[in-house]
Amino acid sequence: MPTLTIDGRQVTVPEGSTILDAAREAGVAIPTLCYREGLPPQTSCMVCVVRVNGSERLVPSCATLAGDGMEVESETQSVRAARRMALELLLSDHLGDCIAPCQLTCPAGMDIPRMIRRIVAGDLAGAAEIVKRDIPLPAVLGRICPELCENACRRGSLDQPVAIRLLKRWVGDEDLAAERPWRPKVGAPSGRRVAIVGAGPAGLAAAYYLRVAGHQVAVFDRREGPGGGMREIDPERLPPEVLQQEVDAILALGVELRPGVRIGEEIALDELRSDFDAVLLAVGEIDERAASDLGAEYGRRGLAADRRTHQSPLKGVFVAGSALSPSNYAVRAVGSGHAAANAIDQYLRGEEITPAQRPFNVTMGRIDEDTAARMVQEASAHPRISPSSGEDAGFNDEEAAREGLRCLHCDCRGFAQCRLRRFAEQYDASVRAFTGAKRAYELDATHPSVLYESGKCIACGLCVEIARQHEEELGLTFIGRGFDVRTRVPMGETLANGLREVAIECARACPTGALVVREEAQEVADDD
Amino acid sequence: MGLLSTEQTAVAETVDLSFVDRVVEEIGREREAVIPILQRLQEHYRYLPAAALRRVTEITRITPAQITGVATFYTQFRHRPVGEHLIRVCHGTACHVKGADRISEAIRRELGIPDDDDTDPEGQFTLEKVACLGCCTLAPVMQIDGVTYGHLTTDTVGEAIEDFLQLEARGLLSPTARAVEGHTDGLAEVRIGIGSCCIAGGSMDVRTELERVVGELGVPAVVKPVGCVGMCHQTPLVEIVKPGEAPQIYPKVQPEDAEAIIRRHFQPRGLKKLKVAVTSALDRMLDDRAWKPMTRYALDVRDAPICDFLGRQVHIATEYGGCLDPFDIDEYVAGGGFEALRRVVTEMTPAQVREAITRSGLRGRGGAGFPTGRKWDIVAAAEGEPKFILCNGDEGDPGAFMDRMILESYPFRVLEGMAIGAYATGIHDGLLYIRAEYPLAVQRVWNAIAECEDRGFLGEDMLGAGFDLRLGIREGAGAFVCGEETALLASIEGERGHPRLRPPYPAEHGLWGQPTLINNVETFAMVPWIIREGPERFAELGTERSRGTKVFALAGKVARGGLIEVPMGITIGEIVEEIGGGVAEGRQFKAVQIGGPSGGCIPARLADTPVDYEALGELGAIMGSGGFVVLDDTDCMVDVARYFLEFTQRESCGRCTPCRVGTRRMLEILERIATGEGVASDLDDLEELALMVKQTSLCGLGNTAPNPVLSTLHYFRAEYEAHIEGRCPAGSCRALIHYVVNEDCIGCTKCAQVCPSDAIPMTPLRKHEIIDEKCIRCGSCIPVCPVDAIEIH
Repeated sequence: MPTLTIDGRQVTVPEGSTILDAAREAGVAIPTLCYREGLPPQTSCMVCVVRVNGSERLVPSCATLAGDGMEVESETQSVRAARRMALELLLSDHLGDCIAPCQLTCPAGMDIPRMIRRIVAGDLAGAAEIVKRDIPLPAVLGRICPELCENACRRGSLDQPVAIRLLKRWVGDEDLAAERPWRPKVGAPSGRRVAIVGAGPAGLAAAYYLRVAGHQVAVFDRREGPGGGMREIDPERLPPEVLQQEVDAILALGVELRPGVRIGEEIALDELRSDFDAVLLAVGEIDERAASDLGAEYGRRGLAADRRTHQSPLKGVFVAGSALSPSNYAVRAVGSGHAAANAIDQYLRGEEITPAQRPFNVTMGRIDEDTAARMVQEASAHPRISPSSGEDAGFNDEEAAREGLRCLHCDCRGFAQCRLRRFAEQYDASVRAFTGAKRAYELDATHPSVLYESGKCIACGLCVEIARQHEEELGLTFIGRGFDVRTRVPMGETLANGLREVAIECARACPTGALVVREEAQEVADDD
Repeated sequence: MGLLSTEQTAVAETVDLSFVDRVVEEIGREREAVIPILQRLQEHYRYLPAAALRRVTEITRITPAQITGVATFYTQFRHRPVGEHLIRVCHGTACHVKGADRISEAIRRELGIPDDDDTDPEGQFTLEKVACLGCCTLAPVMQIDGVTYGHLTTDTVGEAIEDFLQLEARGLLSPTARAVEGHTDGLAEVRIGIGSCCIAGGSMDVRTELERVVGELGVPAVVKPVGCVGMCHQTPLVEIVKPGEAPQIYPKVQPEDAEAIIRRHFQPRGLKKLKVAVTSALDRMLDDRAWKPMTRYALDVRDAPICDFLGRQVHIATEYGGCLDPFDIDEYVAGGGFEALRRVVTEMTPAQVREAITRSGLRGRGGAGFPTGRKWDIVAAAEGEPKFILCNGDEGDPGAFMDRMILESYPFRVLEGMAIGAYATGIHDGLLYIRAEYPLAVQRVWNAIAECEDRGFLGEDMLGAGFDLRLGIREGAGAFVCGEETALLASIEGERGHPRLRPPYPAEHGLWGQPTLINNVETFAMVPWIIREGPERFAELGTERSRGTKVFALAGKVARGGLIEVPMGITIGEIVEEIGGGVAEGRQFKAVQIGGPSGGCIPARLADTPVDYEALGELGAIMGSGGFVVLDDTDCMVDVARYFLEFTQRESCGRCTPCRVGTRRMLEILERIATGEGVASDLDDLEELALMVKQTSLCGLGNTAPNPVLSTLHYFRAEYEAHIEGRCPAGSCRALIHYVVNEDCIGCTKCAQVCPSDAIPMTPLRKHEIIDEKCIRCGSCIPVCPVDAIEIH
């Protein structure tokens, strides 16, 4: 029974154990991509490397036997650097989008592709839930949004972008009209109170998310009703009743609205500060004089505050929306209000305020027509659908579902399972550390329960090995060699023929989003 | 789906599959039969029809995944019909530094082969790039089917192709070597080299002519084919050995010279005008009448440089170089062959043999230098039966052909060494793994195995001593990585040549999981001498840590290239200057590249470094398998690094990330630097990446692939920096140079005629101009200019 140390922790393991086994025993987490319990080590990814007894060469811990007296380094600086570089090399030949360009472009960061897939699946409540994770006013924004997301839509390089705004509006409208509209779960009461100054899109969004987090919220506005600048929008474009309905849905969560109150005149800011645990200033675009009337410090283009944490120089006072950074886009204000709500929530819990990082993302960048044409094979080829009753009326159910089918599903189907992504974040690997030749986009959609995108394959060999062990008649194999090696079905056969037995098992083992279980096969797979 | 697509299946429907059944019947149905089966199928169909592959999977235990994986891993295998003729352009190191890229491009232009294809539209010629044809001294070289053309230039490529087509039309394409019968007791010998270099130089035609002349004139001599003499730069070589006289060597002999040579040495009966005849014939030898497209000249062995070339060496692996007939077992025996084996099996215990090898200090000649005696001890002690013995002859380094030469010229010696190794470790089964690109070696070793079995040197009850050893041959299929021993094992087992992590080492866990002794060709070839002459004599040669001799393939910018065997400890400078005769054409000696793609460049200022495993390793090179390429001031070190990296990244098996992706990214950085698009930070990035690839790759290929880059970065960093600034000091990197016509131009239009890109306007009798934007830096104009008026800036 060899006894060894890993990062200073001593562990004794049975004869024949690998360093990886020993590390798990010792509670040292070693990242692996190509390793899977029960299969022989593939020694491909080289992300699990460790240094043994200070030797210059690093060895893969998954295939190196633990020896008595070994001193193993795992999380030291140089080993981390080697792992990072292995991850960066893999990323440099990993083609796909982790996050769809539409979502990345949306100022509120809404998960547009998932919303669309729920629409297509006829799951209105599901769609509403996805939308409201980031946008509490979909019926409103579905009418006035500037469609930044549609500019980024990859479908646009083929024919026209997916009508995202109209789809969002459809979700908002249908949800409002539903017998039992979708409502978020309000968290356990925190006993903390937040005052929000301004009932525009930023203030309303902040109110929604703070309430959901369990805080008591009061929204003050100098106007007679809620909506802020949105009240001035042409009623043809944004009918007041739609605004009212969505605001009501927020108030129904237990948010108190106090219209017609001028902070700085009727109530001093300091008074609010003493009555409430936190104050959010979401007063819209503001000049230096108005700021001084309010009792807040003015910065360069709006109220003084840290743009990342939303904190103003006054303790407990936060700033969001156009008051922080002027914008004509309500969706931007919604995103800002949401972020401020998160910051306030952390503040109230006594936590350090950690603004959301820009998410790790691999992107395909600009795509050519060929790629777009290959991406479309799983989508509807139909051109963009216009609402039959006119743009003002929005989509009907059938139109929404059909338009939804045009989505190319750019977002990675393996987002949740992808270990490459997880470790890249953990080891701070840069997507752009190396540039050069890269795989091409390919989608094999011949299989009923899995999809294969070879652009995302890291040639780990797990699926090849699983198919081999299960004696699939065709199975999978490596084709070619070196940089151009690819994982494919032999004899030029389709994936449907290659993986007759173990497709789902192979997909489950895939360390990236290259081989994934189809969404529609997911439940069946879960039953297995 | 790219390779092996279904459309090809449709094409292949018409294939006659009964051949597949016959081949399977003959070779076998187990998984490990896959490579030999594919080789036979390709030989027959000239590619691998998908229908034939399917048929194989139907009637054997070979699976579709296996056959597809294997057929696309090894470069020997083709998936589209090959053209009528195959042109293989050597891109070995020596050919590279002499412009192989430009030769390939010229062939493409000549034949109209599109950039994205390898075959001309008419399907007449297929162009293939090969790592090394093993005739480095003829560089740059190409082979059209069996015919080799050396010393090519961009403007003679067309002539060579034309020459080939004429040979074909006249039915003159000579077959490769045949077995030779006959003995030479007491007679004078007219020796003709039949090593690959000599054959490439046309020695088979010379031999036919010599035999004709000897027969017709009735002189008391026999024409005798011999293995490599080592003077590959002088091929074809003819040596006249008369009892009691100093032998004389004639280099670069052509068929029409044969009669003159014979007449000079042998008084034919009844001919009086001898002197005149000889004189005129020999004058002709000294003419500059080029035998297209090679130049040739005459030399006498008594000339000092040639004596040096041969004289400074110590022949152990290459003992009796140039006078042994590789087909004649009796001759090998007469020279002391199999004495060692006889002594071992009759007088020594296995332990005594191992002890003798340990005492000799012999270390593995495949590159890493592991002590051979210790390896034998480990195999002998390893548990598990049966055990296997393998001879690694998968020499794939560009610029190295030691193993090929040893196998071709001294097959009996290698077999004797293996037999001794097998006895010393208690092994009864073994294989020689030889590159398929070495057909002569394969043929001669098969012949030698058969001869040895006949004489009882191999097989059942060897030499009546009760020891059995069965040996066979497995041919490689075009994968450099299979020189790595664990990849070699995978290949023999019928898999893709993926290496695996060591330990466990093959000595304990090798072929089919059994203890396996793997030694390199040259290592085995040293063994008989050590036993026969005594380990002490071997250990006397060389340095403290590196004993004995080492065979090198000396090539590149050196006056005399070829195979040399030198005592360890000789300095790099001595090899270059005294054996190689210094760099050619009055150029400046800049560096030597030792160890090929795994090795490094040692600058001329360190020429005092002795040849020794550790001394070379400390300088960032390695002994490697023995490539020794001399570079001069026209060789760009960035380009040399790029060249080797291009090779290793192409040969990467693709299994582990650092090698698969890392070497490609390194290459891309180097390509940016070589085209003047590099930035200052590239050098540090490249170095960092190179170190990481070196430290974390799974096998020796990846671990050593960065060496050429790291060593050139270390010794020639200023040259890299110059490229970042947009200059190539050696005038070699095409993106950074310009061709300019100087004032010597006489307006002869020769350059304009050969320019393939119309960059030189036809301006008779006026000074030519080169339009820079149109110039593709192909170099065609330089050799044709009669007044050397084209300069590189």
